[in-house]
Amino acid sequence: MDVGVIPISNFQLGLSVVLVLITGLISAALKLELLKPLIWGTVRTFVQLTLIGYALTLIFQVNNLALIIIIVTLMCLIASRTASQRTPNAGRGPLLLGFVSLWVSTFLVGSIVVVLVISPQPWYSARIVIPIFGMILGNSMNGIALSLDRLFSEVKSRILEIEALLSFGATPWEAVRDCVKEALRAGMTPTINSLMVVGLVSLPGMMTGQILGGADPQQAVRYQIVVMLMIAAAVAIGCLLLILMSYKRLFTKTDAISPAVFTADGNKR
Amino acid sequence: MADFFYFENISYHLGAAGRRVTVSASLAEGGVLLIKGPSGAGKTTLLKILARLQECDSGQVFFKGENWLTIPVQLWRAMISCNSQKPAVFNGTVLDNLRRPFSLKIRKEAFNLSEAEKGLLELLLSREILGQEARTLSGGEAARVALLRSVLLNPDILLLDEPAASLDDKSGSAVRDFLYHWVRQRPGRGIIMVSHQHDCNDLPGTKVLDLGVQQRGVN
Repeated sequence: MDVGVIPISNFQLGLSVVLVLITGLISAALKLELLKPLIWGTVRTFVQLTLIGYALTLIFQVNNLALIIIIVTLMCLIASRTASQRTPNAGRGPLLLGFVSLWVSTFLVGSIVVVLVISPQPWYSARIVIPIFGMILGNSMNGIALSLDRLFSEVKSRILEIEALLSFGATPWEAVRDCVKEALRAGMTPTINSLMVVGLVSLPGMMTGQILGGADPQQAVRYQIVVMLMIAAAVAIGCLLLILMSYKRLFTKTDAISPAVFTADGNKR
Repeated sequence: MADFFYFENISYHLGAAGRRVTVSASLAEGGVLLIKGPSGAGKTTLLKILARLQECDSGQVFFKGENWLTIPVQLWRAMISCNSQKPAVFNGTVLDNLRRPFSLKIRKEAFNLSEAEKGLLELLLSREILGQEARTLSGGEAARVALLRSVLLNPDILLLDEPAASLDDKSGSAVRDFLYHWVRQRPGRGIIMVSHQHDCNDLPGTKVLDLGVQQRGVN
């Protein structure tokens, strides 16, 4: 049995453009008006991935801890920006809080996985750290966006209950606890669902990539299990941190419901 | 008894139009203060301010000689308890709803079932309603359950926003009797109530604060 990657030559890579032609023909025949974005998307895919390929080669060669931390921090920043744009109910999402919760959860879980589970030499080997941290980020980014959005929409729909609880003498935390529960569930459900169907419905990209790269499927599966569990942990920690830091924004300094929450859905004041 | 509960120059603005309201009034022990005025006069806002559920621009409130800002806000809200016009309904049965506030940290006392059952009867609700899903209650039933829930918490002052608005005449007068009985049952109680209806005037010891006529309020 042959082991290792079967290399793709420039000519072979060029052949993959045939696939774009097929997509383009469909678009043109049905007048979907997708031709321009399709071409632009194809060009971007080639350029972005080629550049990142060179960048990764360089980073792996240098393999400097400080550089890795800077890169992962930069990735967190981009991820938190994306997440905060996906929370229509939270208004302009709190960028800083999103960044902090992503950074903490990614570094915490990522370090555990890299140092204790995979333990490469040296422990901060960029070849391991960057893909692992990237996978964590991609998933917890969606998780925290979902849960933050849910927190705000729950609070808006339960405003009467929250106000009633406050007038019974509840602290803000007691008043929003039910909403927090729903928000955390919303953030974590996709990850938990993927734990259920992995291998049955979907073959995860990382595992598939390893197998294509010539790895033993049984080793690939082991990696995938670690990845799935670390993603679940990172999503849980990220959502919890963000919600804990965000819920206070719903209240004024004197623990009344912030007027912004009322005006957001035109509630009678 | 001006020193039981009074507020001085409470000033707030209403909505985007920014109409400013400045009021002062007092409530005697065992008494009722009725807040009147046309829609949009700021009656509900005043109740929320007094319960510290909303902030005002200036002014002070005193309860038993203590300035409201010297009392922790959670404690204040437990003493000066506001019951919104639209009743808040939690998931679960009516019994769950009545019990809900007792799960809060600030509540030291336990839920008293027999007291709740007694209250239901006085409000013309049957004992069986305790097992009913609260979301299936009619508007009038939910309003009375919410009122009973506030009363069971034993506040010093009840702030009520049109407690009889969604009720027929019979249950409306049951609610009035219930409240009148409650405020006189023990010393140290009072009621501040928003009401369009005039029929609450007949309660002895009732004062009226009209937000529509005068902005300085009554003394």
